[in-house]
Amino acid sequence: MSTILTVPKLAMSMSEGTIAEWVVADGADVTEGQIIYLLESDKSTTEIEAPASGKLIHKAEAGSTLDCGTEIGEII
Amino acid sequence: MAQGNLGIEPNVLKAIYVQMSRIRAVDKAIQAGLSAGKFMFTYWPMTGQECIPATIAQLTTERDYMVTTYRGIHDQVAKGVDLFGMFAEALGRQDGVNKGKGGSPHISDPSSGSMVTTAIVGAGAPIANGLAISAKERGEDRVTIVNFGDGATSIGAVHEAMNLAGAWKLPVIFLCQNNQWGEYTPIPDYTAGPNFFGRAEALGFRGVQLDGNDPAAFYAGMQDVIDHVRAGKGPVFVEALTYRMGPHAGVGDNYNADKDVLAAAKERAPLEKTRALLAEAGICSEEELEGIDAAAKTEVEDAIARAMASPVTPAEETLTDVFADVTCVPQRGQYPERADEGEPTGEAKTMSMVESIRDAQQIAMSKNGEVFILGEDVGDPHGGVFGTNKGLQTEFGKNRVRPTPIAEQAIIGAAIGSSIAGMSPIAEIMFTDFFGVCMDQVFNHAAKQRYMSGSATHAPMTIRVQAGGGMGGFGAQHSQSMESWLLHSPGIKVVYPSTPADAKGLLTSCINDPDPCVMFESMMLLFTQKGEVPLGEYAIPLGVAKVRREGTDITIVTYGWQVYQCLAAAEELAKEGISAEVIDLRSLVPIDYHRVLTSVRKTGRALVVHAAVEFCGFGAEIASTINEELWRDLKAPAMRFGAAYAPIAYSNAIEMSQVPNSGSIIARIHEAMKA
Repeated sequence: MSTILTVPKLAMSMSEGTIAEWVVADGADVTEGQIIYLLESDKSTTEIEAPASGKLIHKAEAGSTLDCGTEIGEII
Repeated sequence: MAQGNLGIEPNVLKAIYVQMSRIRAVDKAIQAGLSAGKFMFTYWPMTGQECIPATIAQLTTERDYMVTTYRGIHDQVAKGVDLFGMFAEALGRQDGVNKGKGGSPHISDPSSGSMVTTAIVGAGAPIANGLAISAKERGEDRVTIVNFGDGATSIGAVHEAMNLAGAWKLPVIFLCQNNQWGEYTPIPDYTAGPNFFGRAEALGFRGVQLDGNDPAAFYAGMQDVIDHVRAGKGPVFVEALTYRMGPHAGVGDNYNADKDVLAAAKERAPLEKTRALLAEAGICSEEELEGIDAAAKTEVEDAIARAMASPVTPAEETLTDVFADVTCVPQRGQYPERADEGEPTGEAKTMSMVESIRDAQQIAMSKNGEVFILGEDVGDPHGGVFGTNKGLQTEFGKNRVRPTPIAEQAIIGAAIGSSIAGMSPIAEIMFTDFFGVCMDQVFNHAAKQRYMSGSATHAPMTIRVQAGGGMGGFGAQHSQSMESWLLHSPGIKVVYPSTPADAKGLLTSCINDPDPCVMFESMMLLFTQKGEVPLGEYAIPLGVAKVRREGTDITIVTYGWQVYQCLAAAEELAKEGISAEVIDLRSLVPIDYHRVLTSVRKTGRALVVHAAVEFCGFGAEIASTINEELWRDLKAPAMRFGAAYAPIAYSNAIEMSQVPNSGSIIARIHEAMKA
């Protein structure tokens, strides 16, 4: 079962977020709880952990700013 | 290891850890799901506060009542709310414990004793008192625990509730989870008070401060507190010291906290400490602890998977759960014809409205031991500032006619809580102007409880309120007609009688109604109107208007004391050859559009008259419906007439002219007849 990653809504005021950096490379294996990317919103950066273990697929470029809910990757 | 060394029975400590582990699994799953974008809802994390509900769960059962706040997921988990139902609720799904209508900030699950969850800081405390009243009056040994954060201690509702609980020795525990933060503001910035438990002592009841992160100490402290309250020795305020690791809302760390302070707090965090203690003391092997954590994770994963599969509660559910009966909801094009009360047979007696209200209450209280009255000065010898309860305290005793502190939030909250538990309270608010100090309890809680809980719970209470205006001498804060505030708050029924018989009949229906009802009692009418009132139990169905005077040229729609201004106007107009029909709505929600539209269809003209301010008033609503429904049949557009847009003045000359009177109503009708 794969897990879809989307831009999360981390706070009431948040409507979009920027992928500051993919910490884990496209195609690499991740374990649940590992930090996979940095999300920038409202001038603060949050470390986002992998919600599941598996192979990480990037679906959005680092630096892109996207609405909450937009698909940015998948763990298969 | 023996209890002597640990300070707690090993199996109790283990049971506490099991609950902490379940709470942590829920917290982690929510944060992970939100971070991954798996789901989106607002989350108020309680990370670090797990020990408090996990411990209380060992000392209470589902028979004990709990009230908590939006930051209360840990409380819900430990109280025993089914996790599938809880997650489905948080996701707005059909299988939610509240049909997806309340969401996580409004969980109400009577099967586990989680009665009310509020998203208004501090507002649960007055309601908890009501639950406690029901337990006390029924002779049950339930305790009610109301959870709130330290931030809530600043709001008036908590103070009002604490004072009332102390005065009435209610079996309630005010559980302040002192996590050091009021939303984004730390304690020293919002109070100069040295602690919170001391406030209870100032109000004459017991306050204790406990370490809410130490399961052994907290268990011992709470056992003593709960025993005290169960034994009927009155309320206790518990200040449970803890630390909130997360932000006010969202996920991650409490970014407002100083990094060193947060790191130190993490060292004292209860879950990790308890887990280590269980291992060190040899109570659980690492394998057993892993088993506990894995079981919690599996339970949560299963609950989330099933919740995600549950359908989103559909739009067709919009109007269900507003009232018990959906036909009471005002809806365009739906104008049900309700049977009227019929001609009263049997004996009648001439009474004033004051006497008929007293009579309705006396009969209701005789018939049902769970009907009780509460409000300011309601006790004998006066029986209320207008004497509407005179003699009732003497007849039924101090527990059933309860004079209260001057604290409207406490009054309404107590009525809400006791009605949720199934009692039938009648709360008296002295003037409609005072809705201003208790409106949160009325429109955010009483009105919405049925809807937010998907009808799991509801508040079948009655509020009686006196309305000034038109008499002179009471000024701007004791003379207003505030019914539109209530009419604009879905979930509350409103009646406004104009005769003693109607007051009795409508009040009886309000007391028996499954929804919260407000009855307006006009000071203009309480003593001046006398009429034949049927003896014995007498009910008038809600939502049935009455034609007070028949006519053919224009329909005047009105209610309350303005009925008499309109009848006087109609009398004068008859002399000019204008035949006016006067309809007394009696019940504003549910409204009887059937009889209104039937009349206007006949006359072709309509004027709605009320004492409330015309601008954005009820008259605009009714006139608009008449115009939309009957425009082909109308000889003139339906019009409305209310008070001028100004506070009620002290000057007699202004007051008498700013509110409609027979002269100004006649002038307005002349305009309608010309159009």
